Amino acid sequence: MKLLCVLLPHFAWRCETRRGIIPFDKPAIVTYTEGSQKLVMDFSPDLEDLLPDMPLQAALARCGNAEIIHADIPFYWATFNQLLDMLEQVSPLVEGPDPGTIYIGMDGMQLIYPDDNALIAAVKGVTADFAPLGTMGPRMGVASNKFLALLAARFNTTGDCHILNGDVNAFLKDLPVDILPVSMKSRSKLRDFGLATLGQVAAVPSGPCQSQFGPEGKRIWELARGIDDTPFYPRYMEENIEESAALSSVTVSLDVIIVAIESLLGRLFDSNTFKGKGIRSLTLWTRTWNAEHWEKNINFKEPALDVRSTITRIKRTMEDYPQPGPVERAGLHITGLGYPRGRQKNLFRDIRAQEHLKEDIKQLELKLGNPQVYTVKEVEPWSRIPERRYALIPANR
Amino acid sequence: MVEDTGKTLRPDTCKPVNMPVPIKIEENASGQPVAVKQKRRLAVMTIEDRWRIDDEWWRAEPLSRFYYNVILASGRRLVLYKDLVKGDWYEQEY
Repeated sequence: MKLLCVLLPHFAWRCETRRGIIPFDKPAIVTYTEGSQKLVMDFSPDLEDLLPDMPLQAALARCGNAEIIHADIPFYWATFNQLLDMLEQVSPLVEGPDPGTIYIGMDGMQLIYPDDNALIAAVKGVTADFAPLGTMGPRMGVASNKFLALLAARFNTTGDCHILNGDVNAFLKDLPVDILPVSMKSRSKLRDFGLATLGQVAAVPSGPCQSQFGPEGKRIWELARGIDDTPFYPRYMEENIEESAALSSVTVSLDVIIVAIESLLGRLFDSNTFKGKGIRSLTLWTRTWNAEHWEKNINFKEPALDVRSTITRIKRTMEDYPQPGPVERAGLHITGLGYPRGRQKNLFRDIRAQEHLKEDIKQLELKLGNPQVYTVKEVEPWSRIPERRYALIPANR
Repeated sequence: MVEDTGKTLRPDTCKPVNMPVPIKIEENASGQPVAVKQKRRLAVMTIEDRWRIDDEWWRAEPLSRFYYNVILASGRRLVLYKDLVKGDWYEQEY
């Protein structure tokens, strides 16, 4: 297996500059929240003293004049997915584990690209818009597995692609143990043992390494020798269905958020996007007024075929995982669709009458456009603000 | 594929009920309603109740309203409020 790893440095910062949130020439820090702590996600390239995931206080101590922006993760993923879509035109095997990190399968492309350089040039052409060539350009590395390809790209600042072949151990031996994708505890323990480089770790026999670090010890030892059996997962070709809406007012009320999500689901189910399939899995996200991001994946045992069954599950999840603050935006990303095993039609006439009514309303809307019939729904009946108590929602949703 | 529309909740999604309606009010020196100016001027006979609401103070546009439950000279009952942030008067069922 031959893999090309493409790293787009400062991807989050670049997304923000592309949409004009921060000026290109001004120092800026993109932050995210973990628990009660604010951490650095990304920063402008001129802030060399900073590191990703460091606390914001420590970052501000080093560069107090930087502008602070809260990460808009759905936007970064949307931008990243656009880039992956474009890269799929170059190679059908594309994996994007995190925004800014891309793996591209290079096997079996000889008929399209005469050599590796042609493929690399095509990739550079696509990524040029997201990371202009030069010192801030994409970093590329080719190797036989993901770990080596990542390292080849990460330590390549030349702007060309680093093709790692020949003596892998010579390449790895002087690299610090901090680059190992293992727990922080294990990395610090390695340093306590006086093992500062991968070469030193590779010199230790496998047995003692496993006895000290447990199951992770085997992985540490293998990685230090350039062995990585992490599978390459190219993107699964599936319709990417995304719906989101800004709430009419910032709210902490779960009922208001549920009404908004119900409306989004109604829009999806009505648009015949699913073509008879049901929702197998979805990602639910919200964005709070101070730009914090909340996200949950929801899987359905049986594909959900209507708004009611979907919203019941969503409501339970939202009750179990409270929002980090007042919500101003909510969205859904349908990640999986599936056919139901069986579907029981309604037997009783009154339920059928409801269905007929819904069908009539739908016909009316098709004829006249826009929702014509609404139902009143309790949103926040306890609210002191009268206009927040009830809402009109289209009757067929 | 359904694109991420990013729409706000418009009539095709859901809309609030009982939105305040602007109304012209004649007020006295202490800021209380004296008359309602609709098609013709109707004096306020009685103020039956009054209460204040302060909410959403964390937002850029906080809510601060002073409600009056009044009876007009015609005998009609009306709930009015004065927006203490902007100074405008509105009619709204409470």
